[in-house]
Amino acid sequence: MANIEIDAPGTRQLFIGNEAIARGALEAGIGFAAAYPGTPSSEIIGSLAQIAKEMGIYAEWSVNEKVAMEAATGASFAGIRALAAMKQNGVNVVSDFLANLVMSGIGKGGLVLVSCDDPSAISSSNEQDTRPIAKWLDIPLVEPGDFQEAKDMTKWLFDLSEEISTLCMLRSVTRIAHARGNVKLGELPKKEQRAYFEQIHDLRNLLPTSFMPIPSPLRHFFLHMKMDRTREKFEASPFNRYLGPDKADLLIVTCGSCWLYSQDAIKALKLEDKVGILKLGTLWPLPEKFVESHLRKSQKVLFVEEIDPFLERSVMEFVASLPSISPHPTFYGKRSGHINAYGELNPDLVIKAISNILGLTYQPRDAEYSGKAETVAKSSVPERSMTFCAGCPHRATFWAIKNALKLDGRDGVVTGDIGCYSMALGPAGFFQVRTMHCMGGGTGVANGMGKLGQFGFNQPVLAVVGDSTFYHATIPALINGIYNQSDFILVILDNSATAMTGFQPHPGTGMTAMGEPTKVVSMEALCRSLGARVEVCDPFDLKNTTVTLLDMMAEGGGAKVAIVRRQCELVRGKKEKPPYKVRIDTEKCIGEACGCDRLCTRVFLCPGLIWDKKAGKSKIDEVICTGCGVCTDICPQGAIIKEAA
Amino acid sequence: MAVEAKGCKELFNEVIEAGLCALCGACTGSCPYLVYYKGRIALLDNCTLSDGQCYKYCPRTYIDMDRISQQVFGMPYSEDEMGTTTEVFMARTTDTRIRKVAQYGGVVTTLLSLALTEGLIDNIVLAKTSDDKTANPVLAQSEKEMLQCAGSNYMACPVLMTYNQIPKDDGSKLGIVGIPCQVLAVAKMKQAPPVNRVSIGNVKLVIGLFCTWALSPNKFHRFLKEKLDLSKVKKFDIPPPPANRFDVYTTSDEISLPLDEIRQFTMPTCAYCLDMTSEFADISVGSVEGIEGWNTVIVRTNVGAKLVKTAKAKKKLEVDKLPSENLAHLKEAALLKRKRALKELAKRSGDEKNLLYVGLSPNLAKKLLA
Amino acid sequence: MTTKQLPKDPLNLIITGVGGQGNVMISLIIGNALVREGYFVTVGETYGASQRGGPVMSHLRISKETQYSPFIPDGCADIILGMEPVETLRMLGRYGNPNVITIINPRPIYSIDVTGGQAEYPDLDKLIETVKELSAKTWVIKATEEAQKMGSPMFANAILVGAVIGSGVLPLDKKSVEPVLRETFPKEIEANLAAFNKGIELAKH
Repeated sequence: MANIEIDAPGTRQLFIGNEAIARGALEAGIGFAAAYPGTPSSEIIGSLAQIAKEMGIYAEWSVNEKVAMEAATGASFAGIRALAAMKQNGVNVVSDFLANLVMSGIGKGGLVLVSCDDPSAISSSNEQDTRPIAKWLDIPLVEPGDFQEAKDMTKWLFDLSEEISTLCMLRSVTRIAHARGNVKLGELPKKEQRAYFEQIHDLRNLLPTSFMPIPSPLRHFFLHMKMDRTREKFEASPFNRYLGPDKADLLIVTCGSCWLYSQDAIKALKLEDKVGILKLGTLWPLPEKFVESHLRKSQKVLFVEEIDPFLERSVMEFVASLPSISPHPTFYGKRSGHINAYGELNPDLVIKAISNILGLTYQPRDAEYSGKAETVAKSSVPERSMTFCAGCPHRATFWAIKNALKLDGRDGVVTGDIGCYSMALGPAGFFQVRTMHCMGGGTGVANGMGKLGQFGFNQPVLAVVGDSTFYHATIPALINGIYNQSDFILVILDNSATAMTGFQPHPGTGMTAMGEPTKVVSMEALCRSLGARVEVCDPFDLKNTTVTLLDMMAEGGGAKVAIVRRQCELVRGKKEKPPYKVRIDTEKCIGEACGCDRLCTRVFLCPGLIWDKKAGKSKIDEVICTGCGVCTDICPQGAIIKEAA
Repeated sequence: MAVEAKGCKELFNEVIEAGLCALCGACTGSCPYLVYYKGRIALLDNCTLSDGQCYKYCPRTYIDMDRISQQVFGMPYSEDEMGTTTEVFMARTTDTRIRKVAQYGGVVTTLLSLALTEGLIDNIVLAKTSDDKTANPVLAQSEKEMLQCAGSNYMACPVLMTYNQIPKDDGSKLGIVGIPCQVLAVAKMKQAPPVNRVSIGNVKLVIGLFCTWALSPNKFHRFLKEKLDLSKVKKFDIPPPPANRFDVYTTSDEISLPLDEIRQFTMPTCAYCLDMTSEFADISVGSVEGIEGWNTVIVRTNVGAKLVKTAKAKKKLEVDKLPSENLAHLKEAALLKRKRALKELAKRSGDEKNLLYVGLSPNLAKKLLA
Repeated sequence: MTTKQLPKDPLNLIITGVGGQGNVMISLIIGNALVREGYFVTVGETYGASQRGGPVMSHLRISKETQYSPFIPDGCADIILGMEPVETLRMLGRYGNPNVITIINPRPIYSIDVTGGQAEYPDLDKLIETVKELSAKTWVIKATEEAQKMGSPMFANAILVGAVIGSGVLPLDKKSVEPVLRETFPKEIEANLAAFNKGIELAKH
């Protein structure tokens, strides 16, 4: 990660958007930062936590997004500038708190929520636009259009939050959050911060200091006043600007990363003199006057934005309130089908939309070359499906689960959850996972299935969750299962890290975000205290894991917990050398013959194993193999040999 | 009809899912996909082979009886009710140790013990009743281990799984003790030797047991567990007709259950089996109706004859003529099983000319179905 | 700061490979060196789920004038650094053009689709020939092989960075990259510098 703390104002650094946001928070004098990891948001707190001690601030990985937001609010109430960061799904988790927070207002410390959306759901279960949540809850919303703005907007948002006394939200998307660009640094504040929760203890006072959403109608009225004041500030914001001719053939209204795509598209089409871009940085409340002043620049207006038609609808709503514009402009965007209403955008899609509207043809490369390159790539580039890393404990776990379910023979069901192990819905995990929704959701679903015995349901139910997911949102579902005697097995895939998002620590690891040792919240002690049967196994011991699961399934009766524990290979590999040197005994390997049929390379599919077609034997790819040795135990011929490395 | 080459998918569809699996164990043990677990063969993953040994050796996939018989006896399938025989008599052990643990006359245990001493075999593949009274296949590697396997619990047990699990480079000479379906599977292996398994040539002695039906291990074990304190059980016995009882000897008691209550647990596949006397064994052994403490012994091959000769010479067995009445009864029972099975098969296929897995000469089939 | 004129503005570089190979690390080294030389650099990366054994690419957009988007438009790559052969071809199919320059590490990494038999990995020699046909100029740098000789396949990254510098396709020299390498590999700097120099040398032949 980049050094976001360097005290070198005026220099340019290469930051990912998340680092730029973290730097902006530092420049704003933030004192408190909390988050639950989630791609593409994780590096905001990740980079702050790394330098927190040195900079005299506090940063934590909270157990979930709701607690992160609430903790940050606590800091704000006591006068400390605070930030909470999360991916789009996290905002849903926090929404109940947010709906009340907007009514109560914040404390003296500015409070900012950063939401990183993931168009195309590149690393998510869903693609969800969080901008409508800001609109729905009356939260001032901004979105940076590049890396510099990511930093500058964050800094400015703290001032705005304090001035209006409300929570402010910054929305970012994957291609800002995880792309890198130039960021010119500003000054770092040098003042000491002191936290104190100021309160009036005189009970005769009509409104003693209270951060509460009541009396609700009155608070709601205040909130609308706050939004009106915010709109005024937004009307004059330098983050909103127009680029282009005074009279344009086409006006693009855009925000966020689409601002970059729109500029690229116009340059590629050489339309700088013909197409204008109205770039909005402050999205909600809509800076209506500013929008109105540019809307008449063209008879054709194209909305370029990702996921939902947020600007498109907001501008249309606003236009409906105007005295009729004559002639009325034609609106293009998701409604007209010129811009995809799903998936992320890129310069090519914007080029296509513009060309379509203006009747242009665009050809970036020689047609003959294009035909040849596309044909040869299509015909000879093989698929490359995602899979668990070589040496990943999850592969072993799902192998044991698959075999246990088959041996049990009652067509057992695996409900899934969010993490690397979600990939078990595909070949990586032998297609074992059947459902997948949100953090902790699989265990809730298992609760329902586990109570269907009276309707003749006798399929065993296994809910798989990661260790971090367990602490995040699974505990209430487990308690429910024990209380209501639902018949399922919670399988905790404990790889001792929040692996999918970058190996962040969690309550089970004994380490804080800032690298301090802390108490370990033992998942087995916790589960046992709830009265559940708890078994702990090592997934690399395939036999024992399979037998344990079989036994738990056969036992039935109430929720049980199997903790399948083995450290993430990527974490282990950073600290230690491979445990084994693995090789194939080609004399013993029978390849495709009866008695094997390429079990290791056709079914087990560890990327460290490859198939030597010519020899008809399996082979170890020494560059990929991490020497875990699990394949030794699956080979029916004993042809895979492990030797101490 | 030619033997069709098929794989585990077809084995699953035609035999296992179809309820015809006899749990002989021929398909499991060396295959990573077909695995025996608690009275069932589970298919863990798809195998893509269209010519699998699992299908080939299954005693419920097509068998050309004449060809198999040619392989084992050098002659076509015998029309005799008990198959090819060279000698039938009754016998009992002279060894008091064995008599104590034996189900009937202790002949199987005695012959195995002798085969070990004589160096005919080194190890024995057979079923053992475990402490929890489940039947498990084992490889007995000494006389002591073999003696622990004496006695029966009448549950199907995948004995051939143990053969399949023996490392393929192992050179030990093997004896196999099995019931008719298992003996039949071994005969199939002899006819087309398995690859990537231990050589079938290592099998030097096959002792077959008489069998009218076997019990479904999982269901029957659950039934027994509910009825009895299994830790106290010493021996199970089904005395020959007309007793119609299932006897359980415990450390303190003798409990009799009506056989009709037990019959519900018989393997459905046994109704389709035409072999009562393990017709493809070297020696077949069973009880003797009405004469307690003795075995009926059928000698079928040269290997069998030689071993029996030695046993007699060394006075390991006390031998007597099987009363003609008993012989007649035995033949009648064997014929009845053949006829019943063929009738059931014809019923299942809906065509008297299609006897599913049984490949008989049209003449014999017609005779038996008549 | 005097930034050298670019042969084209923006100059578009793609670094491609398989998740876990280290394309992010290479893009960071090159990107940081370029920012220090005064360029605007935008890097688009593949992160998260798709990193797990999937195809990955980094798009580097280098400009003297402005910040470009993190996506190179189709057909507009100027340089492709391919850490894996078929991934290089995948990129050429979408982003290549008659002027593209390719630097390729010819060591295949088989996907589970290939291993499992659902897909076929093309003949390597033919594949390299096709890459050459689709490129204006191609450097074949046996980075993994050389790295293994040096003791670990991990050194392939520094070798490939060296090859990019040695080939002269970017406005960077050894001096401007070395300090970034020192910051990136504080522990094994000597070995990585040796690998970097090896890469420069390999690209000069």
